[in-house]
Formats: sequence, structure tokens, C-alpha cells
Amino acid sequence: MKALVAFGGAFLVALAVTGVTIARTGSFQTASCNVATPQASANLTRDGALNYAYVAVYEGYQWGGGCWNNDDVDSSYGDPIGVTWPHGEGGDCSGLTFKTWRESLDTTNAGHFYWAPLRNVHGPYTAQSFRYGYGAPNGTVPKSAAAAMDGFASDSHVGMIFFPATTGGDDIVEAKCEYCGTDTWYRTYRSDSSYGGIRRLGWTG
Amino acid sequence: MRRRNRRTTLCAAIAAGVVAGTATVTAAETAIRREPSDHTFIAGAHLPPLLTASGEPVRLRYAILCGDDATLADGDPCDGGGDVYVRAGHAGSFTRLTLLRGADSREGRYFADVPADIAASPTGFSYYAVLRDDRTGATTMLPAAGAAAPQDSYPIGAAVSVALGAHRFAATQPATKRVVEARWGTAVGELGLTGGDTAARIGPSSFDVSADGTVTVLDEVNGRVVRWHRGVASATPVDVPPALDDMAVAPDGSVFVADGTRAAGETPLLRTFGPDGRLRATTHLPERTWSQLRMSPDGPVVQEHPSEQWMPPSRAAGGKSGRRLADGSRLVVLRVGADEIRVARIVNGAVHASWRVRSATPLGEVQLAEPMGNRLLLVAKVYTEADDEYDVLVLDADGVARRFSISSAAWAETAPLARFRLVGTTLYRFGSDAAGAFVDSYDLGGVR
Repeated sequence: MKALVAFGGAFLVALAVTGVTIARTGSFQTASCNVATPQASANLTRDGALNYAYVAVYEGYQWGGGCWNNDDVDSSYGDPIGVTWPHGEGGDCSGLTFKTWRESLDTTNAGHFYWAPLRNVHGPYTAQSFRYGYGAPNGTVPKSAAAAMDGFASDSHVGMIFFPATTGGDDIVEAKCEYCGTDTWYRTYRSDSSYGGIRRLGWTG
Repeated sequence: MRRRNRRTTLCAAIAAGVVAGTATVTAAETAIRREPSDHTFIAGAHLPPLLTASGEPVRLRYAILCGDDATLADGDPCDGGGDVYVRAGHAGSFTRLTLLRGADSREGRYFADVPADIAASPTGFSYYAVLRDDRTGATTMLPAAGAAAPQDSYPIGAAVSVALGAHRFAATQPATKRVVEARWGTAVGELGLTGGDTAARIGPSSFDVSADGTVTVLDEVNGRVVRWHRGVASATPVDVPPALDDMAVAPDGSVFVADGTRAAGETPLLRTFGPDGRLRATTHLPERTWSQLRMSPDGPVVQEHPSEQWMPPSRAAGGKSGRRLADGSRLVVLRVGADEIRVARIVNGAVHASWRVRSATPLGEVQLAEPMGNRLLLVAKVYTEADDEYDVLVLDADGVARRFSISSAAWAETAPLARFRLVGTTLYRFGSDAAGAFVDSYDLGGVR
């Protein structure tokens, strides 16, 4: 009987201690993401990029992040804003762009590299570096010439054109903010002088 | 000896309890974290040629998005296909056109050319598409209601032609009056601001003006609407998400808010509040996102995306190209290429008046298009890589009756098409700078 009570007591204590420990140290990234090597790919099509970015929709936003699954749930909604340590689900605006555009961690390499959604990588670029076309794979483009999966970047934000719209703005796919998450929204970045037109160089179709 | 055995048994029980407890939590946690993913989807995107010029060939282009766990492993594009159903005019049976697959996806990989006799129909044409994932057989319609609410296109061969030439920046017209000026903050009469250097800077996301001149601002950062009546501010709490929501205020003071965000797997909500801020109703909007919310004679209407149709909340079958006006006519707006705006007023299904506005400087979004008697007020963004302003045009049967420009004053982000409202002959502009937000009025009297 005493042994049974001891087992029960130890079980409950372990249950509580382990639960609290996991809650305090666990995160979406440590539990779900990986560091797999990206796959080099010959093709880089705009509609392939559209498809890739659309998977990130609903999956949340993590400042400085770049890892998401495809279960349509932001596993870390409401994390603290503007810090990386929550290691939550989702990319930030530049992380989403880097992965969607299949870029390399080597800024001198303009090749195409497929990063699986659960590969945790943000890439070397900020919104501002996209804005000014920094890095071999990145260029700038007149805003009036920007098309699907080109983008618009300011010093603090970057989004990619999902499709142009009849009223002159664009549906944009973007990781917008912790409470907005990642989604497609109609935006008017094209005509906003704080934004410049940007393009992944080397689209193949 | 017996006591030692008892102690050993006790220790073993405690150890077993610890192991079992730890294993239980870890297993549960792992199961939660590694839930199977089942994100399968099919969606489309399309830029509808709502207004066509004489002799213009019409190619309908679509992007198709689709995927499941298998296709997501390589990031390749959707292996898609589909059909477009098109007819001359706006009633009768449709002709099926098979979508072809092009080599380039810049403007949509899948396309169909509308037969010349249908494209040239004097009453225009109407159509919808059924888009397909050829790997799984899944389909979606665009517009969502298909034949029940197809896309309508109208010919504007007799449009009034307006050539704006090159825009002259920094020659803006001062406002007639500043009707609201509010500093950033949380007190009554102030407006909330969020974001900054590392995130989008978002201020109050929308505004509206009543017939008596009362200005209502959606101060979503502070969870309230703020009304200025004869210069006196009052705040009413409303439960809205802190996102780029749009707002329209009914004549009875009811407040409609289209959410600038949405829950997983759902479409955005339209929230209806009484004048006292009490939530009266919530309705899911029909499509995945929207561009603007306005009042119509029948209540709120939303321009939905991807169809780009105007529709009442939750009723995709009520979708139409163009917004319904008080006299029952519809106003259809289309930005074409980088430098043209087409506008038509549709009466009883036919084009009653139309304009083609071309500019030597790139044109951005049409912020506002509103009738003023037989004239049309058009507010559009004009931009270069370094500058942007609003061009205000009053158009009539002869062309431009009045024109001036307004600075963009967009320091903080709002809902995309929430910068201007017209009440009578007064144009209101919602702007912001580093100090706060403001509403300016511009008197358009004498041009009605």
C-alpha cells in the first residue's frame, strides 16, 4: 500500500515538474523545426513561389524567425513582440521572403535553394537590405513594373505581390505582425514612396 | 532484512512514479507538437477586365495555387487546369473555354482568349472559372458563386478621354479646414499608434464622416471609436482586433468594422456595433480578404478578394462588378497597366457614362470614386520611385472640370482604401504625421 502511495505521489510530482519545465523551456522551434541542408533546385517559378508562400498563411509571425508547419494554426500566437527568444512559429517579413525566394545564406550566391517550411532559417537579409537590392539574388525594379511574386520593401517591412488588383493596389502575401500573422491582404505599397520595388533575380517561369 | 526490502520497494515505487510521470508529460507534449499536418488547398487569383476599350482583345489569365503534403515537399507550382465559362451579355447560357497552360506565370500561368464575337458584344460579357488541381481533382470557382454571380465586363468605347500629362509634385492645395487634430496617445481626443522601426507603423485604421459633419475614427489600437462632433471628442469602446480594420458608419450611428485579420481557416469577420459600442452581430465575410468597406443604400458592402466583386456580408451570390449607388446604378472602377484608370457608371445593365484617364506619371490605387450629380469625383494616388501624392479629379462629360493634388500625409498605415470620404460637396482626407492624426476638409462646392 505504501509503495502504491509512493508511486502515486512521485508520479504526480514528476507530472507537475516536467510539465512546468517544458512549458518554460519548450518552444515551437525547438520542438518542431530542423536544420536540414537546403536542396539546390534548377527551377524558380513565380507560381511555385506563390504556392510556397501560401502554405505560410495562418502559420503565424515570429520576429527574426523562419520556421512553420502547415497545420493552419499559429502555435505561438501572442508571443512577445520584437524579440527572437520566444522561438515561435512563423517567419517575419524578411524571413518569409528569403525562404520563398529560395535564396542562399551566402549573399554572393544567386542560386536557387529550396528550404522546407520546417527548416528554421531567417536568412541574412533585413527588409532594408531587400529594399536596396543587397545580395547576389536580389535586385530592385521600378514599382510600376513589379509583377506577381516581385515585392515591395521599406526600411522596416517587406511583402511579396500575390496578385495585382482592379483598384490599383495589390494583394500582398506578407508576415505582417504578431497579432496579424502571415496572410494575404490588399495593400497600397506600390504607390507608397517609403517602399521600393524589389525582385528575385533569375525567375525561370 | 525485511526493512531493507521494504525500503528498496519504496524507492523502486518512487522511481517508477517519477519515470511514469515524466514519460506521460513528454508523450503528451510530443503528441501535441507533432500533430499531423493536413494543409491541402486550392485557390485562384485573377485580374478581371471589368471595362474594355473598343477592339481590345481579351485574354483571361489565372494563377492557380494548390497543394497537399506530397507537393509541398518540393515547392513546385500547382499542376493545375480548368475551364472558363463565358457568354455575351449578362444572361443566357455560357460557352466553355479550356484554360491553356503558358510558359510564364508573371501574370497568371493559365489563360483563355475570349472569342472576338463575345469580347465585342455591345452589352459586354460575363464569365466565371472553375479551377482544378489536376493531381487531386480538387476544384474551386472564381468568383465563388460561379454562374449565380459571374464576373461582368462592360465595353466603354464611347468613354470620355482624359490625358493628365506628367504630374507636378509639391504643388498641393491646402485644406479648406482642419476638422480634427489628435495627438498620438490614449486619452480621449488622442489616437493610438503601434509599431515602429522594426515593425509596420499602424495608427487608427479608418474613418467616416456623417451627414452632420461628425467625424468618427476607428482607434483600434486603443479598442474604441472616437467621435468628433463640432470639435468635441468622445470615445466609445468597441471590441475589434488591433489590425488594419476598415470601418463604415450608417446614418443611424451603427458602426460596421471589417476585420483586418482572420482566424485560421476562416474568412475575416464583419462586426456590427450599435452607436453605444455594443456588439450587435458578427458575420463572416464571403472571401479570404477585402479591399474596402462602404455603406450602400441596402447596408454595408465589401469589395471582396479574390473575386474583386462588391457584395453584402456573407452573400457571395450577391456579388457584382461595381458598387451600387443610391440611384440603383453601379460604379465600376478598373486600373489598367501602370498609367490608366477606367470608370463607368452602369444603369440598367448598360454603360451610362464612362471615362478613360491616362497619366504620364504612374498611377497607384483609386482611393475614392463617387458620383457628384452627373459628374464623378476621382481620388487616385500618383507616384514615382521617390514621391507620392493624391490627384483629385472632378470629371464631367467634357473631361476634367476641376483638378488639384493633396499631399499623401501617410506617416502611419491605415486600412488600404480608408483615406478619403465625400459628404455632399466636401471631401475629407484622413492623414497622419509624427505628431498625430488629422482630418482635413476640401470644399468642392460649385462643381456639383
